[in-house]
Amino acid sequence: MKVLIICMYHPELVRGGSQQVAYELFQGLRQVPDVEPVLLASITGMSPTLYKSGARITGFDGRPDEYVFLSQEYDYPWQKSGNVQLAEAFADFLALINPDVVHFHHFMTLGIDYLTLTRTVLPSAKIVFTAHEFLTICVADGHMRRFTDQSLCTSASAVRCNQCRPERPPEHYFMREMWMKRHLEAVDVFTTPSRFMVEPFVNWGLPREKFMQVANGLDPRRTPALAAPARTHRNRFGFFGQLVDAKGVQVILDAVTLLRAEGFTDFSVEINGGNIQFATPECRAGIEAFLAAEAALPPLERNVVLNGGYHPDQLQALMARIDWCLVPSLWWEIFCLVISEAWSFGRPVIASNVGGPAERITNGVDGLLFELGDARALAEIMRRAATEEGLWERLAAEITPPASRAAMAAGFLDVYRAPAGAASAAAAG
Amino acid sequence: MADIDDPAATAEEAASHGEVAANPTVAFDEETYLRLNPDVRLAVASGGFRSGRDHYERYGCAEGRPYLMPQGVVRGRVNMNANPDMRREKLKPPAAAVDAVKLSHAGGIYVAGWVNDSTDPLDSLDLYFSNWSVSLDGRNLARQRRPDTEEALATAARHPYGFIAFLFAARRLPGGVCSVVARLKSGAEISFMVTAEMVEDHDMRKLMLSQFARAKYYGNPYFEAVAAIDASIGEQMVDFNKMLSRRAVNDPYVERFGGAGQRCKGSIIVCLYGKVEYMFLQQAMFSKLPGMRDYEFIYVVNSPWISERVLQEAKLCSLIYGLRMTVVILNSNAGFGAANNAAAEHANSDRLLLMNPDVFPKDVAWAQKHTSLIETLPPAQTALFGAPLYYDDGSLMHAGMYFQADTLPGFPGRRKHETSILRVEHYGRGAPPDTAKYLKSRPVPAVTGAFISVERAWFEQLGGFTQDYVFGHYEDADLCLKSIEAGRLPWLHDNRLWHVEGAGSDRRPQHEGGLAVNRWLFTRNWSEMVHNGLLGPEPSYPGFGGEVSR
Repeated sequence: MKVLIICMYHPELVRGGSQQVAYELFQGLRQVPDVEPVLLASITGMSPTLYKSGARITGFDGRPDEYVFLSQEYDYPWQKSGNVQLAEAFADFLALINPDVVHFHHFMTLGIDYLTLTRTVLPSAKIVFTAHEFLTICVADGHMRRFTDQSLCTSASAVRCNQCRPERPPEHYFMREMWMKRHLEAVDVFTTPSRFMVEPFVNWGLPREKFMQVANGLDPRRTPALAAPARTHRNRFGFFGQLVDAKGVQVILDAVTLLRAEGFTDFSVEINGGNIQFATPECRAGIEAFLAAEAALPPLERNVVLNGGYHPDQLQALMARIDWCLVPSLWWEIFCLVISEAWSFGRPVIASNVGGPAERITNGVDGLLFELGDARALAEIMRRAATEEGLWERLAAEITPPASRAAMAAGFLDVYRAPAGAASAAAAG
Repeated sequence: MADIDDPAATAEEAASHGEVAANPTVAFDEETYLRLNPDVRLAVASGGFRSGRDHYERYGCAEGRPYLMPQGVVRGRVNMNANPDMRREKLKPPAAAVDAVKLSHAGGIYVAGWVNDSTDPLDSLDLYFSNWSVSLDGRNLARQRRPDTEEALATAARHPYGFIAFLFAARRLPGGVCSVVARLKSGAEISFMVTAEMVEDHDMRKLMLSQFARAKYYGNPYFEAVAAIDASIGEQMVDFNKMLSRRAVNDPYVERFGGAGQRCKGSIIVCLYGKVEYMFLQQAMFSKLPGMRDYEFIYVVNSPWISERVLQEAKLCSLIYGLRMTVVILNSNAGFGAANNAAAEHANSDRLLLMNPDVFPKDVAWAQKHTSLIETLPPAQTALFGAPLYYDDGSLMHAGMYFQADTLPGFPGRRKHETSILRVEHYGRGAPPDTAKYLKSRPVPAVTGAFISVERAWFEQLGGFTQDYVFGHYEDADLCLKSIEAGRLPWLHDNRLWHVEGAGSDRRPQHEGGLAVNRWLFTRNWSEMVHNGLLGPEPSYPGFGGEVSR
């Protein structure tokens, strides 16, 4: 079986969840006999040195079966490229590779209409589309978190999308939905890493019977087992992620303020992550003001430490320093790879009670959940986590190891091999 | 104070004056007239009149100007030498200004300015170039409110001081410096030396229409704008625009994609203005319909500056969706009517489906149903028909159109004058989507140009769309009225489409100006017929028979 995996960005060049999962899958499938995976990862102007004159698709850094798609003239509002030669090159590439399965992990920088083009060029190939967010539905970066009041969005519509993005009239969003759905019709099977994602898509109008769930997998070599911290107090918390609004680091800082006001200071929080430049000015100002004030305190009075961005290789060391991993995301948080990483290292997670975290964590069993965005609720849970004897050990003992890369590859092979309509049974199950 | 500038005539002199007026050759003496009327001598010397006689015939007679040396004058007595009821104003030059004189290459003449003629109406606006001149009738100018003038004159008078003059001479006229003379009924005049600016014809149209759209009025602009062009400018604009349309459709660029050129069951003609995305949206949405391979698309592009992008998208659409498609690129904006007519010439079928770019199929069986309608219904019901259109919010937008007339009385110069304008209304606009009375097949006075399915031979017999309208609007109703007049009523058949109205093209001031011209033209052309049985949602015209309901 030949499988063409298509993703936005090559993870070697631009880090990000969907390309990471696509690449893990590509490598996982290479270990499976009789499966020939081919990777086509888009690149954009962020990697200008890889563009070759007159080329549209090229190999990548001498790696077999890895190709890059040199995106051009991309129209973000319509999620399509206007470049004819690029589309022709893509069609030629499809015909040349002639895969049995074309597995899209994203469409941005290529074009949502390439789904239909793939169907035109390969009428009998199975087209699989993995949704890593809600970008087909949602113009608010696919997060379904409303720009108007930061509330979570449960249904898109022409008027509601216009409220979030008023620069275009409601008719635009009506047509966008029509356009997106037209191309999603080419898809045989949709997969999502979390079960909860199916409902928004079905409510939006996609057929439930086409959905299957395959959890994102991790390469176990990246996360070798870590011993339980040799500490009596479980009062060290860690945040891993980008310092942008949706990730909710500001909720942690508010919770810290509340705990101090109560006179509880026997804890520490380590912030691991960067990209604060992508936060809104208000969010950024709030975080920076807090951290500046914190840095001005005498070392023994500090509760919060900013470690900055990190490389995956540093993850083990960073995890070793903490007891609890905090995931205070303010959006649906589709799957949350950080949970998988924390679990791999045996660290229980305290997370917002929606989306992927709510689905993966059983509150009070293998982790703790708190009301999304509620700093007081988080403060109470942090205090409980830091003081309740035996809680950490009880929850840590219940952590189930996250899906491995091989398990994910096997899950997708089931999707590829399932006869037409099999997704329906899986969805019902 | 006795004042020779305040002439009046005795009864005898008035009688004498009448006699001369009836036969002025009897006693008129050029030199005497000029001597007795020194202001006229000046006006003749400056070129305002060919001669004293010219002035006398045009104004002096009516004003009771003296032309004879008084006889038997009694010393020490004031002599009234004109009709005492006719007060002769001092010929003081009127307050006025000329903002611009522009000439276009094809012969458009445009003058804008203002004049205080609130008590003494503007009689003519004359332009004297070195080797040509033109006299524009003061009554034919479009008059508008000028707040800047009102402020400068420190007046609260409700008078339209502003004017726009436009004439299409249909020949190239040399420009340069010209003398513009604004002459009032009294003969008072003022002249300006102005350098005429040469402009492109399209810029001239744009200038005229934009100016028109921005004009201010004391009353309702909807009526006032139409009234302002009724005298002359409307016709001049239409002629000028027709010239531009003819030019725009001359020798278009035509490229075919995906096997276009083969015979098919219907040719969908779409006029693209500015926005290219509608091409790929329509191709994506129509290409998934069963039965669509029986149809071809013809995109006619009125905006040549998007031609590269259009051709690129056409290639992409051909690659991805594979429908037959022809792209016709015009060299400039020919307007909706002329562009569609030009595109129709490239059709490879006997059925034309005239469609807006922001129209999309609502039902997956749309193409099959259309084919079925034209193959199974009586020809009289399918010669020309429309379909229900829906807003993106799901409510009905269109289920046929009917006509209404708006009338506004006015009293210029205390005389009653009615301005009546025809208005086109849609049946069912905003109604619940499944309102049965709107959806049933029935004849209707008109259907929207957003979607018209018409037998090609009938379309050609009707002469296609009338090309007199500027840019767009009213051609659809005009076509339907031509069809009714020629004996076939438009029908509406339930084959539903989305119409994302308002998003189809960029609207600019010149389009608003064009709309006012079209409103005037449509009313002028069809008012009589519409008032003869086609007015209102339940027209009494033969054939409708109460089948249409509001």
